[in-house]
Amino acid sequence: MVCIIHTLKDNDRMSTQELLQTIARKIEEGEREFEIEACGQHDITGKGANLLFRITNPGQRVGAMGMDGVKIIVDGSAPADIGWLNSGADIVVKGDGGDTAAHCAAGGKIYVGGRVGTRSGALMKHDPKFEPPQFWVLKNTGSFSFEFMGGGIAVVCGFDCDGLSSVLGNRSCVGMVGGVVYVRGKVEGLAKCVEQVKLDKFDKDFLKSGMKEFLQEIGRTELEQDLLDFKNWSKILPLPKEQKEKKISVKEFKEQEWFEGGLFGDLVEDNGEVFGLAQSGDARIRKPEWEKDLCIDCSLCLNNCPQKAISKDLTRYNADSDRCIGCGICSAVCPRSAWKMV
Amino acid sequence: MAAVKINELHKSDLPWILEYDESKCIQCGKCTAVCSFNAIKPAVETRKTSNSIVNKEKTEKVLVIKQNVSLDNYCRGCGMCANVCPNGAIKLIRNEDDKYSVAYRAQKADSFKKGGRSNLNTEGRTLDKIKIGRISQMTDPSLDAQRHTFELKTPFGRVLKADKLNFDVKDGKIIETAQLPPNRWIYPIIFGDMSIGAVSWRMWEAMAIATAYLNEVHGIPIRMCTGEGGIPTKLLKSRYVKYMILQIASGHFGWNRIIKSMPEMTEDPAGILIKIGQGAKPGDGGLLLASKVARYVQEIRGVPKADLLSPPTHQGLYSIEESVQKMFLSMNAAFNFQVPVAIKVAASVTSVSVYNNLLRDPYNIVGGFFIDGLAAGTGAAHEISLNHTGHPITSKLRDCYLAAVHQGRQGEIPLFAGGGLGQTGSFAADAFKLICLGANGVFTGRMLMEIAGCVGSDTGRCNACNTGLCPAGIAAQNECLVKRLDVDKVAQNLVNYILATDIELKKLMAPVGCSTLPVGRSDALITVDKHISRRLDIQYSC
Amino acid sequence: MCRIGAIKSKNKLHPSMALKLMRSQQEGHDDSGFAFVMQDMGGLFENYKDLPLLSMAATVEGTRLAEDILREVGFTRVMQWSPDINHQKGLKIEAMPNYIFEVLQYPKSYRHASQEEKEELLIDTSIRLRKALEESSSGFIYSFWPDTLTLKEIGSPRDIGTYFNLWEENSDLTARIITAQCRQNTNYDIVRYAAHPFFLEGYTGLVNGENTFYEKNKSYQAKLYKGYMGFESDSQCLLYSLHYIHKILKWPLQYFKHTITPLPYDEIVRRENSEILLRIKASLAHLEVNGPNTLLAVTPQKELLCVCDSKKLRPVVIGKTEDTVIMTSEVVGINDLMPDRKIEDDIYPNERETVIVKNDLTVERWQQ
Repeated sequence: MVCIIHTLKDNDRMSTQELLQTIARKIEEGEREFEIEACGQHDITGKGANLLFRITNPGQRVGAMGMDGVKIIVDGSAPADIGWLNSGADIVVKGDGGDTAAHCAAGGKIYVGGRVGTRSGALMKHDPKFEPPQFWVLKNTGSFSFEFMGGGIAVVCGFDCDGLSSVLGNRSCVGMVGGVVYVRGKVEGLAKCVEQVKLDKFDKDFLKSGMKEFLQEIGRTELEQDLLDFKNWSKILPLPKEQKEKKISVKEFKEQEWFEGGLFGDLVEDNGEVFGLAQSGDARIRKPEWEKDLCIDCSLCLNNCPQKAISKDLTRYNADSDRCIGCGICSAVCPRSAWKMV
Repeated sequence: MAAVKINELHKSDLPWILEYDESKCIQCGKCTAVCSFNAIKPAVETRKTSNSIVNKEKTEKVLVIKQNVSLDNYCRGCGMCANVCPNGAIKLIRNEDDKYSVAYRAQKADSFKKGGRSNLNTEGRTLDKIKIGRISQMTDPSLDAQRHTFELKTPFGRVLKADKLNFDVKDGKIIETAQLPPNRWIYPIIFGDMSIGAVSWRMWEAMAIATAYLNEVHGIPIRMCTGEGGIPTKLLKSRYVKYMILQIASGHFGWNRIIKSMPEMTEDPAGILIKIGQGAKPGDGGLLLASKVARYVQEIRGVPKADLLSPPTHQGLYSIEESVQKMFLSMNAAFNFQVPVAIKVAASVTSVSVYNNLLRDPYNIVGGFFIDGLAAGTGAAHEISLNHTGHPITSKLRDCYLAAVHQGRQGEIPLFAGGGLGQTGSFAADAFKLICLGANGVFTGRMLMEIAGCVGSDTGRCNACNTGLCPAGIAAQNECLVKRLDVDKVAQNLVNYILATDIELKKLMAPVGCSTLPVGRSDALITVDKHISRRLDIQYSC
Repeated sequence: MCRIGAIKSKNKLHPSMALKLMRSQQEGHDDSGFAFVMQDMGGLFENYKDLPLLSMAATVEGTRLAEDILREVGFTRVMQWSPDINHQKGLKIEAMPNYIFEVLQYPKSYRHASQEEKEELLIDTSIRLRKALEESSSGFIYSFWPDTLTLKEIGSPRDIGTYFNLWEENSDLTARIITAQCRQNTNYDIVRYAAHPFFLEGYTGLVNGENTFYEKNKSYQAKLYKGYMGFESDSQCLLYSLHYIHKILKWPLQYFKHTITPLPYDEIVRRENSEILLRIKASLAHLEVNGPNTLLAVTPQKELLCVCDSKKLRPVVIGKTEDTVIMTSEVVGINDLMPDRKIEDDIYPNERETVIVKNDLTVERWQQ
């Protein structure tokens, strides 16, 4: 027995709550097959195994949180969020889908016989304990699709997309970190975090087997041969982290692009050496100078110099500039001020 | 030993007191070697070795580290000595009973000068009392700061009202009929005007490299304002000049070389900034003390080694009209009316009048209005100006924006705000809030110094930029100090900081649902202060 | 999210079409109201297309006030229509005492006036009426313009339909363009002026989504033109921007999209007309919208227009048959009214598109 539900009587429209409660009641009563003439009610699906829904004119989120063993067939188009959070249902929309189709889907199959809108396939995921979700679209997707995709398989067949500059719209796959998007036709404006590559044998086998079922479900088997001509297909995968765009460093830029000898090369003497704090040589702020006439040869300076920079030859005390850091201890300990810091 | 007299400078009069732990000192001499101010010294002390009454004459001489007690060589608290001490034997203690500034004036008959910033933060920070309170959640989804696209660009140059663009329509398409004022799209942060001379050649080069790198490698169209201290000819003739906003202030330093280079310039500069005043010392002209006028500074500016004072006003500019005529017109003409010419003034009670006058300029040659608030920094100023003159940036920026709104002319002369941004560590937030209040962008010098390793603070540490003895080599002109600064690292850090700020700006744009700059979106802001709420016309929240 | 709809047809449409278009999109309603604007009138108003048609709702006092003002200005009544009210009990509607739809003749002194002068008089009179009604809290004026009829009411759309007998088709009240929305602006107070569609001098606009740049738009628009007033809803800003670009600046419609959602700089500089686009982006920065919005609009040339925000955060779909085009938020509404159309021809505009329905119902799609 097929359970038929009309949702419009005169000007009175059955609310979403009413419809979903009716479906739940009927399932409890043992109904398994439904025909629903909807009037934009949201979230149409049911809980239980072996359920079949044939729906016309559903509202948003048809098949939302779809469960294993549920099949939903929409005759015509459906608005936003088809198969939102689908976890196992098979959802077929023969016409177009609205925005964010297959949003967060993590299981089951979603087949769309037309195009889907902006942000479709966003945040799809794959739980490795289960089969990956599949999301098949006959025509194209809107912009920003497959945003933040984390897993699963999407197939965009690019049928009837002749005038389009990109079958995935603009800026799709932003933040994609997992899964794969198979696409047939031109793609422009992809996010930088993904790469578009050729199909391998595994991919082709997958598409061959999947395409047959997809086309059967949406009733377009005549397209099989055309769509399985692999020359226009490619797949989009997230780029491994290490391959993401690398830029030259500031140091490399300075070496390769900047002025030879530096911007001030012809104005100041500067070989680029960086002085450490309290270093010897030219890094010294003050340097010791020794005056022979004042020296009484007591060697206090020599003995107290922390850097052991002071040496004495026969007649002279000398501070080795390679060792001296200009601390002034020699000057401080000298009883006759023979060392001056200048 | 000479007698200590009361009318002398004593250690207890100084702003910082050296606390020396002899037991930890190994007498390595690094602390005294590193001090650029010559404020500490090794010294020999004579000590009694025993309290015995039998051997009471017995003494010994020991080596210690002491503080100089001198008006000229005194400790600024920069802390380099403590940084190099291997054992933590040195600490600098802020002296709450500091009498230095009295002594300085009393003995020198001169006003006290310093660099850095005002140390009299009596009013608290308005920007810290503002939060971004309008968060997109349900009605308008917020964005993902990391992954969505954001556009951080703002027009620089005169923007004409749509009905003044003189567009013609031909075959369903708009066509241009007249030459319009130059207008460029730039990043909303400008590296703010620090001259060669005010900062060291290494610091200046690091800023220039960071600017060029951000533009060419990251596509971030940041601009750097040169300050008024000349520009190396090499840079003028290079492609990088297009990232540079050339400054002209009342001293006109370095313009001789700019004009001489013009025939060989292959690119136009990013803009011209006419500096009328600066936030740290409004009403005061530039000041570069002789100690900083190094040989190359003399050359590039065309002056001898002497204190360089720019007059507080541009000679010959008696009114706003004349200023428009002389400065704006001439500067526009210099680059064939193809380079935006903007003006920088210190925030003041009168800023709005200036802005209104410029908005009404019939020649449309004013390409930007930079307002600099009192918390700004400076290379050198009289302390009296630094601490007691000026106007906070926030309300003045807001006044200017609202004055334009009142006339339906917001955005026509882009507003740029600066002065103390990032003071409490939140540069991106400060920038964002000012943009919401009406700024097209912000400019900063102080952040660049901080990033480069400046050790100064708003509470009196260091602030010796005027001396040329900057211990970090940023504002130094002394070769051994300048060479402490690592150009590569400073450039890299500047770049990193801007990249971080870019992320942070997006982190603020995203929750308010903006993918473009929220100029004038004061509805995104709230404040917990009723006075601020009323004054700035933003929502009071509690 | 609001649901919005616009229908343009070669046939004369009754407002019941609008109710039916919105019925299946009811999940977006909250029983806060129903409003529609009819343009290119048929039925009783067919023969008065050049004369101003006043649509208002008022108390008795407000009605008298308006009459006095109109008389003083010199307008004379030519024709009046009153809806057939169903006073059935229990209807969810906050009805006003009087609903006035009347065709007026211009003052004698305006008989030979130019179109511009007449339009000036209409907008000035509208503003005056609005202010007078507002000061005395005695009513609302929705439109005062030739060939345009507006009704806005608070309550359940279904019951408002019943109250005004709009569910049943009749040939008195028809038009070739109807725009409608089935709820009030619930972000703020429920006030009649905040209900879409908004109308100004031949331009009608309906928007869904919150305009995050409301303050920015409003502060700029408030000084642009005297007719930019009210701002009860952040969506009015989009209508005013359309009016400004098209009527005041006289720029082609395609520049409207460049104004409200300017292209990113990096993309503009690659365009042939980058200089123009950058100027627009800078000069009209305060008319940008950055929120999630779809705008449906009608121009004085009786063309329909549809644009989305640059992130395309709101749905919209366009369906058509030989004689009718519908633009609305969700395809369910179109499915209800045109189940037999060719769904392959449905148009889902993208974030860069402006879709225009010409007077002959051809649909043009312009990429920004």
